[in-house]
Amino acid sequence: MEGNENIPCVELRNLVKRFTDVTAVDHLNLKVKHGEVFSLLGPSGCGKTTTLRMIAGLETMDAGEILIEGRVVNDVPPYRRNCNLVFQNLALFPHMTVEENISYGLERQGLAKDETRKRVGEMLELVQLKGMETRYPAQLSGGQQQRIALVRSLVLKPKILLLDEPLAALDRKLRKDMQGELKRIQHEVGITFFYVTHDQKVALAISDRIAVMQAGRLEQVGIPEEIYGAPETKFVADFMGVANIFSGKVTTKDGKEIQLETKSGLRIIAVINKELISDDIVGICVHPERVRVLPFDADVKAHNQFGGRIVDMTYQGNFVEMKVCLLNNGTDVIITAHLDARLIEKHEHCVGKEITVHWNPESCSTLQG
Amino acid sequence: MKSSKLGKILMALAMVGYIFLWGPIIVLCLYSFNGSPFGVKWESFTLKWFVELFHTPALIESVLRSLLIATATTVAATVMGTIAGYGLYKYKFSGRRILRMSILLPITVPYVIMAGALLVYFTRIARIPLGYPAIIIAHISFSAPLAVFVTLGRMQRIDWSLEEASIDLGADRLTTWRKITIPLLLPAIFASATLIFPWSFNDFTVTYFVAGIGTTTLPLYLYSMLQYSLKPVLINAISLIFIITPTILILIMSYFQRQKQI
Repeated sequence: MEGNENIPCVELRNLVKRFTDVTAVDHLNLKVKHGEVFSLLGPSGCGKTTTLRMIAGLETMDAGEILIEGRVVNDVPPYRRNCNLVFQNLALFPHMTVEENISYGLERQGLAKDETRKRVGEMLELVQLKGMETRYPAQLSGGQQQRIALVRSLVLKPKILLLDEPLAALDRKLRKDMQGELKRIQHEVGITFFYVTHDQKVALAISDRIAVMQAGRLEQVGIPEEIYGAPETKFVADFMGVANIFSGKVTTKDGKEIQLETKSGLRIIAVINKELISDDIVGICVHPERVRVLPFDADVKAHNQFGGRIVDMTYQGNFVEMKVCLLNNGTDVIITAHLDARLIEKHEHCVGKEITVHWNPESCSTLQG
Repeated sequence: MKSSKLGKILMALAMVGYIFLWGPIIVLCLYSFNGSPFGVKWESFTLKWFVELFHTPALIESVLRSLLIATATTVAATVMGTIAGYGLYKYKFSGRRILRMSILLPITVPYVIMAGALLVYFTRIARIPLGYPAIIIAHISFSAPLAVFVTLGRMQRIDWSLEEASIDLGADRLTTWRKITIPLLLPAIFASATLIFPWSFNDFTVTYFVAGIGTTTLPLYLYSMLQYSLKPVLINAISLIFIITPTILILIMSYFQRQKQI
């Protein structure tokens, strides 16, 4: 990419946005590198769309700075920011043809007619929609509209392309196809993508880096493997679908290995596998697919081995979600395990049966306050 | 079956409604071809009243006058009403609700009172000469609110991210208005115009008060004929013109609207 590698494509410094009674964005600091796909992931109402709209210039900010390629753009109107937005509902102009939609931005720049036509042609080729020039948006399928909305912004060659959950309205299969398409297009044009979504799966699939946001603040920033495999806070763990979260206190620490005791007296061993920011460990989590299910009398002579009774089984297609109530001293601790559907044995795995669950200390992630 | 019985009753009621709606108009149209000058009893078929109409210069002048006033009013009131509707919908400011409600006033206040008030206002306070200026301003004052309401109704169904998309793609506010907002509002603009034109063309009460001398519009002319003419049947023929002119206009407009919509 052009520009100095050391200057981030977009940088947010202490960005604040307040609405009458809530702080939507609370001192946000963020750096987006050139050429990457960066996702801002969070539940609805966490301030992610507000952040995106502030970068686009469609929303005013209360404090802080937004820098695009090292230049403060706080007072630059949206039409001079050199960043473009793909709207959640696409916002294709219904009274204009595909060609008029795509050339709209170029015409505003005063580009010559034949050059405009050439660039529109290139864009339609990029998304394999040649021959659709004279159609109106209402005459296109959902996926085609999606692609047109994308290239309507891309044709302007922005420094950064902002995407506001444009795939949310699509059905599952189409969404998956479009994910691949987005990645391919991003790879081809090399423009930085800033993608806002509440869908963990989409974020994991398309991003180079993910920032998880909650209540206007950043929880964790990292590559998808870190966000999913090593969540740092309870919120991130929960949001990424880590069903087994244990809160408690660290009782012993032996090098990388720690023991955590929960309120109900459960003792769990975990291996710390990354640099910790602070010593303040408040919990441990383990993904359900990393929990192994063994016969009740099995003894692997390992840590984190607990007997329990199956209380629920839910068929999910490629796997079965199993809820196991531990035979612990009185208090109910439910462990969720995901089993490969092919490994299920009808009379071994059914509600009421007693079994043993086990997971490796290396599979655990430590949660911080 | 009970439901189909109910359906038949509703159908019959609807028919009655339409008979009341269409009946007088049809009778009126038919009687404009009646040979008798007093119009109550059918005598013979004739077109002489229409011939006579076209040989009455005062009448033709009044039609032209009414067309001119209605056109001017339609253009001005539609433009003003659309802009006002846009502003009242899009911009949040204190007193917006009151302003929005108060637009209803010219519609709810009885026309006679409104007309009297306008007359006093024009002659004593604003010093606007009676005749064309007074008539057109008066017509705008009661028809622009219609455009405001039509616009507000349409605005609620418009996807406003389209305006943002336009700005995001590099268009300034003015270009966005011209290229995006107005085309989106076009159905409302047409609807307003088709409402306002006959409204202004047909108005009697307000015009009667502020017309002054020499600016006799078609409704005023018709009224004076009703009072003093020896041939009441002429009115039937004029009425036919009344009915046909706005109808043609509405048809033309809806044709254009269909062309514009995709």
